[in-house]
Amino acid sequence: MIGWGGRDRKMAASSSIVSVAPTASSVPVLPSSCDFSNLREIKKQLLLIAGLTRERGLLHSSKWSAELAFSLPALPLSELQPPPPITEEDAQDMDAYTLAKAYFDVKEYDRAAHFLHGCNSKKAYFLYMYSRYLSGEKKKDDETVDSLGPLEKGQVKNEALRELRVELSKKHQARELDGFGLYLYGVVLRKLDLVKEAIDVFVEATHVLPLHWGAWLELCNLITDKEMLKFLSLPDTWMKEFFLAHIYTELQLIEEALQKYQNLIDVGFSKSSYIVSQIAVAYHNIRDIDKALSIFNELRKQDPYRIENMDTFSNLLYVRSMKSELSYLAHNLCEIDKYRVETCCVIGNYYSLRSQHEKAALYFQRALKLNPRYLGAWTLMGHEYMEMKNTSAAIQAYRHAIEVNKRDYRAWYGLGQTYEILKMPFYCLYYYRRAHQLRPNDSRMLVALGECYEKLNQLVEAKKCYWRAYAVGDVEKMALVKLAKLHEQLTESEQAAQCYIKYIQDIYSCGEIVEHLEESTAFRYLAQYYFKCKLWDEASACAQKCCAFNDGGGDDRAV
Amino acid sequence: MASVHESLYFNPMMTNGVVHANVFGIKDWVTPYKIAVLVLLNEMGRTGEGAVSLMERRRLNQLLLPLLQGPDITLSKLYKLIEESCPQLANSVQIRIKLMAEGELKDMEQFFDDLSDSFSGTEPEVHKTSVVGLFLRHMILAYSKLSFSQVFKLYTALQQYFQNGEKKTMEDADMELASREEGERKMEKEELDVSIREEEVSCSGPLSQKQAEFFLSQQASLLKNDETKALTPASLQKELNNLLKFNPDFAEAHYLSYLNNLRVQDVFSSTHSLLHYFDRLILTGAESKSNGEEGYGRSLRYAALNLAALHCRFGHYQQAELALQEAIRIAQESNDHVCLQHCLSWLYVLGQKRSDSYVLLEHSVKKAVHFGLPYLASLGIQSLVQQRAFAGKTANKLMDALKDSDLLHWKHSLSELIDISIAQKTAIWRLYGRSTMALQQAQMLLSMNSLESVNAGVQQNNTESFAVALCHLAELHAEQGCFAAASEVLKHLKERFPPNSQHAQLWMLCDQKIQFDRAMNDGKYHLADSLVTGITALNSIEGVYRKAVVLQAQNQMSEAHKLLQKLLIHCQRTRNTEMVISVLLSVAELYWRSSSPTIALPVLLQALALSKEYRLQHLASETVLNLAFAQLILGIPEQALSLLHMAIEPILADGAVLDKGRAMFLVAKCQVASAASCEPLKKAEALEAAIENLNEAKNYFAKVDCKEQIRDVVYFQARLYHTLGKTQERNRCAMLFRQLHQDLPFHGVPLINLL
Repeated sequence: MIGWGGRDRKMAASSSIVSVAPTASSVPVLPSSCDFSNLREIKKQLLLIAGLTRERGLLHSSKWSAELAFSLPALPLSELQPPPPITEEDAQDMDAYTLAKAYFDVKEYDRAAHFLHGCNSKKAYFLYMYSRYLSGEKKKDDETVDSLGPLEKGQVKNEALRELRVELSKKHQARELDGFGLYLYGVVLRKLDLVKEAIDVFVEATHVLPLHWGAWLELCNLITDKEMLKFLSLPDTWMKEFFLAHIYTELQLIEEALQKYQNLIDVGFSKSSYIVSQIAVAYHNIRDIDKALSIFNELRKQDPYRIENMDTFSNLLYVRSMKSELSYLAHNLCEIDKYRVETCCVIGNYYSLRSQHEKAALYFQRALKLNPRYLGAWTLMGHEYMEMKNTSAAIQAYRHAIEVNKRDYRAWYGLGQTYEILKMPFYCLYYYRRAHQLRPNDSRMLVALGECYEKLNQLVEAKKCYWRAYAVGDVEKMALVKLAKLHEQLTESEQAAQCYIKYIQDIYSCGEIVEHLEESTAFRYLAQYYFKCKLWDEASACAQKCCAFNDGGGDDRAV
Repeated sequence: MASVHESLYFNPMMTNGVVHANVFGIKDWVTPYKIAVLVLLNEMGRTGEGAVSLMERRRLNQLLLPLLQGPDITLSKLYKLIEESCPQLANSVQIRIKLMAEGELKDMEQFFDDLSDSFSGTEPEVHKTSVVGLFLRHMILAYSKLSFSQVFKLYTALQQYFQNGEKKTMEDADMELASREEGERKMEKEELDVSIREEEVSCSGPLSQKQAEFFLSQQASLLKNDETKALTPASLQKELNNLLKFNPDFAEAHYLSYLNNLRVQDVFSSTHSLLHYFDRLILTGAESKSNGEEGYGRSLRYAALNLAALHCRFGHYQQAELALQEAIRIAQESNDHVCLQHCLSWLYVLGQKRSDSYVLLEHSVKKAVHFGLPYLASLGIQSLVQQRAFAGKTANKLMDALKDSDLLHWKHSLSELIDISIAQKTAIWRLYGRSTMALQQAQMLLSMNSLESVNAGVQQNNTESFAVALCHLAELHAEQGCFAAASEVLKHLKERFPPNSQHAQLWMLCDQKIQFDRAMNDGKYHLADSLVTGITALNSIEGVYRKAVVLQAQNQMSEAHKLLQKLLIHCQRTRNTEMVISVLLSVAELYWRSSSPTIALPVLLQALALSKEYRLQHLASETVLNLAFAQLILGIPEQALSLLHMAIEPILADGAVLDKGRAMFLVAKCQVASAASCEPLKKAEALEAAIENLNEAKNYFAKVDCKEQIRDVVYFQARLYHTLGKTQERNRCAMLFRQLHQDLPFHGVPLINLL
């Protein structure tokens, strides 16, 4: 259990933003403690916020809250909360709001904004501003295709943002913004690349309205490292736990994230498909494929029409070359909705597994057309081009991925691989190093670095890399063999033997029956080594083991 | 999945990525500013010969090219520019734009329809293939490619542009208001107000591809030739980031960013930019299918080569070698001889420390000539000459080689190499100790006009060769005791190469050396000692040597000796002959100062042999001076005198003033010593001659403020006068001596034991 004894249901707003607190009173009071002991209360809050976000057209937050609420046991009738009371202002704006919401829902943003102009209630005001924002965004995207010239395309911007910012900042200074208003203000600031200010505003928004998941999520996207996270003053609510778990996943702090999610499951959110999927993604990130696969399978059973995160699932299936499962998943998703990024990604993976790389690339391209900021597709497309030996296109794809997200280690790694294929071991060092910086504890980058150093004949560095790869937990179990071979080359037989012994111990201890070609080499070398050291018994034991592999060669029998 | 924002899902078409730069197939497009320029052109065409005077027309024509190539500027600035050249035209342009902007859309449409008229007729106003004609046709083409909504957008943009120009004053007031409202929030980041950015024209708005290319090439050439005129590193980087934000595919910007990062010695970002550039370049190579695999592979080779160059610049020689090996391997695989040539030259640069590197270089030069790479060839020749000069080859051969390569330079107008060549000649003459020749070469470089003038007003560029030549000039002047002139030169250097620019280290070292020498002459050893650290930071070997010299002067003989021995071994290993001889001389001086001149003799002979072998005349004559002194101490003044006669000529011709003084002083000493056994009449004659020489020496010493030496000279003179019985002169000298002796501390070395 999470041990905060905050039973006295303190207001979320801490002292630093007390001045904002009165504004929150116009929205129905949404207290939320950091305590999970009262799940009913949490459920009530979730239902309430789901309704509030829906009314304001914040569909994803609404969806998230509703999903989470669904995972908690149902409330009896007596406990069900009445809808929040309608204020005088709301009543005045009711007609305008209803009309505008209808327009909003059919994406006629300008029209919605027009009818909401001059409304005073918070809800109507938010919808008014939000419609203007979305209208600007929509126009910006339409404009992109139709800009005056190629270089102008980067300059096409949401014209509404400036005005929105000015208006919202006035309101903000007058402390007239509620949680939703702050959220929108934050979004506007972020779109204007005012990251620092945006973070401040989002933090404020989470204080005023901790239940709104959108604000937390925005915060997630703005925080780039652990240090930044440390210096945030976040409200003590149960939502914070979700946020922390989420951001740990984003920052690749998988251990911490898993811990948090486990806690959440323990307190009663075990049915939440959101948490389950996040855990699966976390396992995927630390390459615990079996666990991730089983969780995903479970998830599919619970929520068969879910499309989110299925791209990750397909990655896992791909890694394990589970063709039939992947095919099934692809067809299934295609039936549900074939114009989703995830669907395209899954189909791409499917084709890739069938070695139809052209088609795979085509589907990844389609995914990118649906959402150009969908990072994974760029990287995957890079992989496909690599398979097709189209290195220049691969480099392009990877570079795009890096442009979208500089911290995408797979793209850096992919670039490294591309240059390695082009036989430029020194050149690719830089890329591998970048990838390694981003994932310091991933053995694959270290092994790749080691291989490059080996090619450059810098054996000392190579040894360091392999040793480190082994030390951080080798995924492919190749680091030790390579290290041993290096020692062999340098005629450091003692260390080589040590490595081989460790390698064999490793293989046996994990008990996997995977085809390890290097096992026989290891035994063979050990046999020779013992032979040289005149330890006949060990030598013959090793030689016998080696013979069992059938390809030991003649010199074993000599023993 | 971390959804960025809800709106993403409504609108899948995002700005980043999908649309590629060349989808449109045009490099230029119509902007309000371009329309204004078009109006100007049109106006110029319409006004006949009579209306505008010839002078004004010429000024206008001069104005046109920067207007066509440069970045967009505001209307008011444009007006001002036109007004400066031709007021009446500015007026009519203003009226036309006003009419167009305040009228209707059809006015603009009509304008573009009429534009093509300038080409028609039997005597068209504008020739189709002229610069202006091309611009006009580009614009007409770009305009006709616009879609319906784009045309309208252009028109509104024009109106906006016009209004901004008109109401600049009002906007200023608005801006104040807005900034008051915003409080302390940072305004510059968000581009809230166009008028804010009007101040920094170059920062405003996106550049068209042509403008961007122009900007990049301009800045790049400035970086190469005249760093001070280029934008500061920070603002250039800002500009580049801006450019890249508008068009991430504009690879050349990454390269410039790499160059810019090199300026500030930022390894990390420069590597990043360089690699990014080549990643991007590979794309563009892939786009042009005509090049095919060839173009693509080519960029790979040069990528590796450039990486090598980068590491070399930062002094990561091992890394550089690895990168170079890679480049060589790839180039070999694809039979790219030109690339291989470049690799070979870099290989030489990396292997400079090795003794056999000149073989590489010779090979490189031959091959480069064969493949028709004049730049590489003559760069090779220059390096070879430098290397040979250190290896002691005769001057005539070197000068011959330089002359041949000069022919090549002039033929291909490689002005950069011409400069280097002359600077190198200056350096070589100085190495050989021919100060007059060096002086002449330096002056020649400085008074020569560069072939490519960067700015109309300035004939010279601020390249490294100029810095080198100026430094030599400063040192030469200081040697001759013209300290005022030297400091004048240094001041000029400081202005031309500010302390944080690439070549600033050159003059910093030179400055410190001159100061050090002056402090030593003055006998202010503590001052000299404090300068040593500065010198060491810029050049460690030089620093150690100077340290030893200071120690020696302060009578800390054993420390000085230890330091010198270490330095000697190091320099012998690195084949720094010049320094070896200097160190040997210092060692010899140490020996006779500790009263063991016999040990000094073999050391001096070694130094003499070396300096003769390497033809370092300056050092040779200094060695002879030392040798003669040693002989004098050993009691064979006749020998010393004959030796001196050999050396005195070059010293008086080319030597530093201090050396001249020392030589004359020594001659006088020898004369006196050898006259000791002569009959009285001859002796008196010899003493008279010695006094004459002493006077001359005194003059020389006075030029470089060597008070200690002057004191010695005066003392010696007084003694001589005394011997000759000239009491009055004797007393005068004795008084001078006394004055000087009170001023200066006594160092405990017998006077006679100093050279």
